[in-house]
Amino acid sequence: MMNSMSNIEYVKGLIEKGFKVLETDVIDQYQVSFVVKQADVLQVLVTLKNAGWKQMSYLSAIDWPDETKIEMVYILMNWERAVHVQIRSKIDRNDPVMPSIITVYPGAKYYERECHEFFGVKFPGNPDYEKQLILEMWDDMPPLRKDFDPQAYSDRKFTKREYNQDYKILSEDNKLKEKREARKERAQSLKGGPKA
Amino acid sequence: MKSTKFTPARKLSKEEIDRKWWEIGDYFRRNSLWMLMYCTGCCAIELPPAMTSAYDMERLGMGPMATPRQADILLISGYLSVKSLRRVIYTYEQMSEPKYVVGLGSCPINGGIYHDSHAVINQLDQYIPVDTYVSGCMPNTESVMNGFVDLMEQIKNKTAKGWIKYKENNEWYKSNQMAALGEVIIHDEFHE
Amino acid sequence: MKQMKLFLGPQHPGMHGNASVHLYVDGDIIKRSFLLPGMLHRGFEKGMERHSWVNNISLIPRVCVVEPDINEMAFAMGTEKLLGLEVPERAHWIRMIILELARLSIHLMAYGGLGGPTGNYTLMYHAHADRNSILDIFEQISGHRVYHQYIVPGGVRKDLPKGIEKDIHAFIDDLESRYEEYRDLGIENPSIVARITDTIMLPADVVWELGVTGIGMRSAVNKPYDIRKVMPYARYDQVEFYAPFADYSDARARIDCKLQEVLQSISIIRQCLIKIPEGPVRVPLGRGQSMRWTVPKGYVYSPVESSRGEFGYYMVSNGGTNPWRVGVRGASYPQGLLGIEKYMPGTRLDDAALWVDTMGVCSPEIDR
Repeated sequence: MMNSMSNIEYVKGLIEKGFKVLETDVIDQYQVSFVVKQADVLQVLVTLKNAGWKQMSYLSAIDWPDETKIEMVYILMNWERAVHVQIRSKIDRNDPVMPSIITVYPGAKYYERECHEFFGVKFPGNPDYEKQLILEMWDDMPPLRKDFDPQAYSDRKFTKREYNQDYKILSEDNKLKEKREARKERAQSLKGGPKA
Repeated sequence: MKSTKFTPARKLSKEEIDRKWWEIGDYFRRNSLWMLMYCTGCCAIELPPAMTSAYDMERLGMGPMATPRQADILLISGYLSVKSLRRVIYTYEQMSEPKYVVGLGSCPINGGIYHDSHAVINQLDQYIPVDTYVSGCMPNTESVMNGFVDLMEQIKNKTAKGWIKYKENNEWYKSNQMAALGEVIIHDEFHE
Repeated sequence: MKQMKLFLGPQHPGMHGNASVHLYVDGDIIKRSFLLPGMLHRGFEKGMERHSWVNNISLIPRVCVVEPDINEMAFAMGTEKLLGLEVPERAHWIRMIILELARLSIHLMAYGGLGGPTGNYTLMYHAHADRNSILDIFEQISGHRVYHQYIVPGGVRKDLPKGIEKDIHAFIDDLESRYEEYRDLGIENPSIVARITDTIMLPADVVWELGVTGIGMRSAVNKPYDIRKVMPYARYDQVEFYAPFADYSDARARIDCKLQEVLQSISIIRQCLIKIPEGPVRVPLGRGQSMRWTVPKGYVYSPVESSRGEFGYYMVSNGGTNPWRVGVRGASYPQGLLGIEKYMPGTRLDDAALWVDTMGVCSPEIDR
């Protein structure tokens, strides 16, 4: 196998020379990621496939509700020059449409179908992206979006057992209760990321 | 002293004769239970050591069986997703009576580690009646065998009455199933 | 003849896992087939966003039930790359021992799983009895037979117990001495050989079209494409082993590669037990510190070589205490979904369960 630093240089040269790359990130000696515009994605994938990145490892999406964008991710692998390449691009969240890539990588057919089911992204060019794959008779919004609350859905739909209250509250001590609520508030506020 | 040759035996009523036949049947039933091979969830990985020579299940009289119509026990091994529950209800109603249900793991009891998931049901005995639970995540193989021995004790003491409860409270079970699943009929337009 | 619709349903004695295959059959030959996944769907990717980084270690082994250690390894490697943590030396070698023992246990189970569809139960009984010994070793190391939760970001949870080397050596010596017996029961058994030779082919262009990895790829492409060789992680570049590959990929060649991998795993475990250094096994942390980790922003994909192929976790962090998105790349996703749709028609109905077994389709990692 060739020296891995020259593999990364090879990929960077290939992509940055031909396309307008918004952001490049070398994660370690075997992984590199590029952020490109939505219209360039298909051409980038064709270029990489012709250069030896013949295997498609993963296709999925990430939801950013604050920027109202959905980010599509494509990960490719080349076994001769061992580098994983991530191609990312952001598309609009309210009406997400992304051209299908099954002409380049036929194995992406079922990945796109699952992505539509969980995020709501449309893939024109894929003949049956609208059929349900993993969920059956689903009646709510696409589950992996950030607005969906799985605990509320579970409480609403699945019946729960009734338990009798066979304990007694001895004293209503409000001080400990306030401390507990404040601690919960602080933990909740850190979950989505540090506030700027 | 009266001899038995000339005094007539006390006439038994029809219910008492039926009960005596049922007790004889229970003796044979509990010593040769056949389990349906249906691995629904994670806890099913502890079944191969129980079925094969590591913790042999066949010395208790139990063995695996391929079709629901000829099996006695339906073993719910682990969590049940909504899609799986529709098929399990079909299978449960196909089995011939008397039939018993054993729930393995913590997930049929109260949801387990997936209690806040959108695709996993929380309490199993709202949908089909359960006779014995074996808790743990996941339970040891010896606990699973202990659960089977407990089920045999229950059959001996005539407290394993899940299938009678299903017949008597059918509306309650059906209304819970409709509320959670929508409908129990499996639509097959999946690929068509 | 008219086509008849059958379900190789979720409840089937020869089926692995809870997934069903819808078949359209004409006589005995399958004409169309589709996999119906989703019966093991639990919403993992949503559930992982609701717990903190270290709490997820208790949730993720349950993604793939037969081989749970690869999940912990991929997640721990990804978190360490984002955080910039350096794992101590002894922890790398302990991780390798655990991963190779897990690979032994799943290869034994898959090889014994040949017994179900073909009717040879002796093989299944032998394989599961040996696998039970491996689960007992795991119970001594980590406390649980199946879901260990032992590999954490920062090292391993605690050190190996004293005297475990004797048990491991006794087990692998015994397994290696019975290797010929295993070959005779399975792959050289005339009744099984007749069913796996020259059937269930996987040519090289199909491999590149679907994206199959692992043993399926190596036995068709004739090259050692293994992540442990090509991009080594956790000191795999300091032990000597080879990744078996072959030229003609029918079912028999793939099973033969699996058996050779068993011997290679035994050799790796022996080398690890000799070369392992002394030292700490976990990065020193304050009390409760790992519960409050805030991981810097980043997008990372961490692949691991599982027994079925390239298994990876794609992790995105927003700088908070919870992951923003975790995506699981199941190793048998390509051959399970598109493979069954395009390449299963043409086989006989009796071989359908054998097709699913020798291609290595594992349904929990397709559904997550």
